[in-house]
Amino acid sequence: MIAEVYIELKKGVADPEGENTLKALKLLGFSTVRNVETVKMFRIHMDEEDEERARNILEDMCERLLANPVIQSYRIVMK
Amino acid sequence: MSVYLKKDLPFEVYEIDILNSDDAQLSRISEDMGLALNTDEMKRIRDYFRAKGRNPTDVELQSLAQAWSEHCCYKSSKYFLKKYLFGINAPQNILVIEEDAGVVEFDENHAYVVALESHNHPSAIEPYGGSATGIGGILRDVVCMGAQPIALVDPLFFGPLDIPFESLPKGVKHPLYLMNGVVAGIRDYGNRVGIPTVAGMIFFDEGYTGNCLVNVGCVGIAKKENIIRSRAGNAGDLFVLTGGRTGRDGIHGVTFASTELDETSEESSRGAVQLGNPIIKEPLIHACLEANEKKLLTGMKDLGGGGLSCVVGEMALSAGYGAEVYLDRVPLKEENLKPWEIWVSESQERMMLTVRPENLEEVLYIFDKWDVPANVIGRVTEDRILKVYYRDHLVYEMDIEFVTKGPEYCRPFKVEKREGEIHGRVPEPVDYLSVMRSIISHPNIASKEFAIRQYDHEVRGNTIIKPLQGIPGNESHGDSAVIKPLADSWKGLAITADVNPYYTKIDPYWGTTAAFDEMCRNLVSVNSIPHSFADCLNFGNPEKPLRLGDFQESVRALGWMARTLGIPCVSGNVSFYNETPYSYVPPTPTLMGIGIVEDVRKAVTMDIKKRGSVLILIGETKEEFGGSVYSKIRGIEMGRVPRSDPVRLKNSMEGLLSLFREFSILSCHDPSEGGIFACLAEMCIGGGIGCDVEVPDEMRKDVFLFSESTTRWIVEVREEDSRDILEFLNKRNVPTRIIGRTGGRELRFNTGTENLSISVKELDELWRSGIVSLMGG
Amino acid sequence: MELNEIRVAVLRIEGTNCEDETVHAFKNLGVEAEAVHLKQFYSDTIREEEKRNIRDYTAIVFPGGFSAGDYIRAGAIFSARIKSVLRKSLEEFIENGYPVLGICNGFQVLVELGALPAFDKTISDRPEMALGINNSGRFECRPTFLRVESRNTAFTGSIDRDIVMFPSAHAEGRVIFPDGREEEWLERLKENGQIVFRYVDPGGRYSGYPWNPNGSIYNIAGICNPDGNVLGLMPHPERSFHPYTHCSWTRGRKETGDGELFFRSILEYMMKL
Repeated sequence: MIAEVYIELKKGVADPEGENTLKALKLLGFSTVRNVETVKMFRIHMDEEDEERARNILEDMCERLLANPVIQSYRIVMK
Repeated sequence: MSVYLKKDLPFEVYEIDILNSDDAQLSRISEDMGLALNTDEMKRIRDYFRAKGRNPTDVELQSLAQAWSEHCCYKSSKYFLKKYLFGINAPQNILVIEEDAGVVEFDENHAYVVALESHNHPSAIEPYGGSATGIGGILRDVVCMGAQPIALVDPLFFGPLDIPFESLPKGVKHPLYLMNGVVAGIRDYGNRVGIPTVAGMIFFDEGYTGNCLVNVGCVGIAKKENIIRSRAGNAGDLFVLTGGRTGRDGIHGVTFASTELDETSEESSRGAVQLGNPIIKEPLIHACLEANEKKLLTGMKDLGGGGLSCVVGEMALSAGYGAEVYLDRVPLKEENLKPWEIWVSESQERMMLTVRPENLEEVLYIFDKWDVPANVIGRVTEDRILKVYYRDHLVYEMDIEFVTKGPEYCRPFKVEKREGEIHGRVPEPVDYLSVMRSIISHPNIASKEFAIRQYDHEVRGNTIIKPLQGIPGNESHGDSAVIKPLADSWKGLAITADVNPYYTKIDPYWGTTAAFDEMCRNLVSVNSIPHSFADCLNFGNPEKPLRLGDFQESVRALGWMARTLGIPCVSGNVSFYNETPYSYVPPTPTLMGIGIVEDVRKAVTMDIKKRGSVLILIGETKEEFGGSVYSKIRGIEMGRVPRSDPVRLKNSMEGLLSLFREFSILSCHDPSEGGIFACLAEMCIGGGIGCDVEVPDEMRKDVFLFSESTTRWIVEVREEDSRDILEFLNKRNVPTRIIGRTGGRELRFNTGTENLSISVKELDELWRSGIVSLMGG
Repeated sequence: MELNEIRVAVLRIEGTNCEDETVHAFKNLGVEAEAVHLKQFYSDTIREEEKRNIRDYTAIVFPGGFSAGDYIRAGAIFSARIKSVLRKSLEEFIENGYPVLGICNGFQVLVELGALPAFDKTISDRPEMALGINNSGRFECRPTFLRVESRNTAFTGSIDRDIVMFPSAHAEGRVIFPDGREEEWLERLKENGQIVFRYVDPGGRYSGYPWNPNGSIYNIAGICNPDGNVLGLMPHPERSFHPYTHCSWTRGRKETGDGELFFRSILEYMMKL
């Protein structure tokens, strides 16, 4: 089973990487860009056929390593 | 019928039918296989195999292409380097020129190690990965001598940042994109491995638009007893390949670096750009140094250009042995690599060791402890033949001497005199202040803080004089950085990187003397004795006689300066083919100078220290505007390029160094780009203090302010010492004059008729915004 | 504890890179210190003479660097590995009052580990704060000046100066508290005396960029646990150990480096244990 785990900054947390990318894009003349957010995605390949069980394991991964709950939220998409 | 005949083996190896090929076919084979060998070289290979009575395999042919590339065997440059530059005997030399890095005496028990290299072609295609792997490679060059890296240096050259996108030739990336990518690559790699980046330069010129230059240097320190050679130890020793796995990245890197770039380069050469992994490198350094300190290794060499094919051949040849290699024992990143690909891949973070069989277990334990893969892939043999096996089948058998001793050429060259003879015909500017403002914000003079602060220049905690000097928050560019390499000694190393391509573009000979002069001045400015240097010679296509003429002139000048001053060239690198169909780079002989600081506690910085001190100009000012920033601002070509005379330079350096010993010198800086004006402006900015300067009557104002004559310094001294200092230097035939005093909030020049003054605050703002304003904030 | 009983472990994994200078800082003060690979605590492949136990030491330092490449988040992987192999014994170590220090990447490790701010437990189950990307979006290597806000810790007792210069060099150092609870967190830290260092300008005023190099809330540069024996800070005291590695020392030099006072404090604290 393959899952995609998206790690995003929570609302209200400053995103300097996104802001700087926005600035650079504007500089290159992309005038219609309004906002840029950085999102990190891990594609995880698992030996697990049961989707429910896999989701539980993935949530545990997020809680324990992939996300810092103070600034980040996560979203799991099963493929 | 095809010339490529698949051999009857359970894997993919071809026999190339060159025995029955005519010249045209040979040249087509070279092109089809991406060998970058010319017809004469192909014929030489044909002759060799004719004598053997068989055709070569693709593994053999690819291997020869690597070994005979310009990058690996210096076939176009060696003649000139030997004639002019090599063989300067100096008592401090320990191992110079012959290895990947130069080894020079530091003190009784220690040596420092110097390496400087280009990573131009990969960086022009993929700036981030290209520059990062450049750092990786130069670190390995130092580590493979048994030394701990202690400092990195990065001279960079780009096209103008404000060049419009529309005017870029097809396939050429914008200088802003290249610069940001290169700086980020150096930052992410250098910072991650924990070696401080302490010196460098960023230079802008139209000539670099099509070919940016990325030079990287490294300095290391080692106990003399731990210095190890890049050669195989003894027959019977094992070749142990350590570090990263081998993949398809970096195939044909050196043949790619030995041809001109064109618009198709991006697509066709992506594979030639390697990807770096600093998090393997850092433990690899530890493991190699630990195994070496425990005396478990008999030889060590990094895998760079040409990958395994070059490293095995060169280690065996220089020891007078042969080798057997089993390609299937090389750990791979991906399956299905063809044998020739494994043999020539330039995957990063790999190091080759030779180890006595009885020490193998201990070596493998150390690498396992650091989680760094290490595998026996071959052994050293008595004969001088290199044999390569893949799954028990012999796929390569050649004499090492034939492979590794590549061709050497004295190609036709032509020396062109481009320096004009325009003297004193430039009208004085109407508005001096506006010229000053333009000079201090000129991108080649303006602050490089945006890059310097992205590099960790203090990791290892031994950076005594940092690249930015002065009041915190107001720091200005220093002349050299100073590192204290040993915990229990006050002795230090000063490091600088210099070249001014504006000069070398007009006159490669005199321009190169000026670069050497500047290197020495920068080392002396911080109170260090110039001790050795490395060069990275970046030029265009050597098959064009004018480019090779420029190269010849530059090398000749280096030899003259180095020999007269007794400062040895200890290592270096030649990068040719920095050329596109539209343009070629200005002759760029980048120099990295190393000075010995007897006591780091006596190092001197360039920022003005206090009010009421006296400013003394050391050296002569002549009308030398050729290639000056002043000439660029005025938009006028002005003749004579600043030039050096090594005898005069030697005398002045000695005078200044003894001055440092006898008197307390508050600050010292050398006029270079932008002349005395820019020099004083930088001193004022760093110290947050102004000064009052008298412009001599007998000289045109613009000559005094903006000429870039060499062998000059400005020192700040105590009022009460100033007379004695003048006398001290005059006695030693060093020209001096008091030019002014420090104080106030303005940099002020008094001439007979007017006062030209700009506030230090304004200078500071102009200097700091010069480049940043072109980067979009 | 006597001076000769002090043993400092500077923990390393792949990518940590400030362990040598950190070890030297302690050795310069005459105590035993060594860089120890995390594997030496648990791996079967390590030889007997290189095996270590956390009980062999009286202080533990997480040094600066880019542990495990700073992938995922700075410090996240190192802290995950600590949790899996050392959590219990580290908790015990802290509860016994021994000092645990995290410098730069080490601070990031302690935060990800939940050892800071440690409001309710020695090591919380989830991180309670974060160190985010600098507001400038860039790595920043520059001198930073810190006001010593608390001397009632294992790390600051002998610092007899109001302001110290420890250089900073990081890309992720901005202290962030949970959204909407910033005030509450600040209050708790202040109440417990957990704010140890705050960024100031050279004149001692709380200032913005570049003196606060990352945009940290309340100019926080370093905090400790409520007991004062676990400290994390972004700037590097080991880099201003010597007066001659201070920025601009050629303009006027201190007799003792600011960093030396910091490390001396740790020893003096241990000698009272």
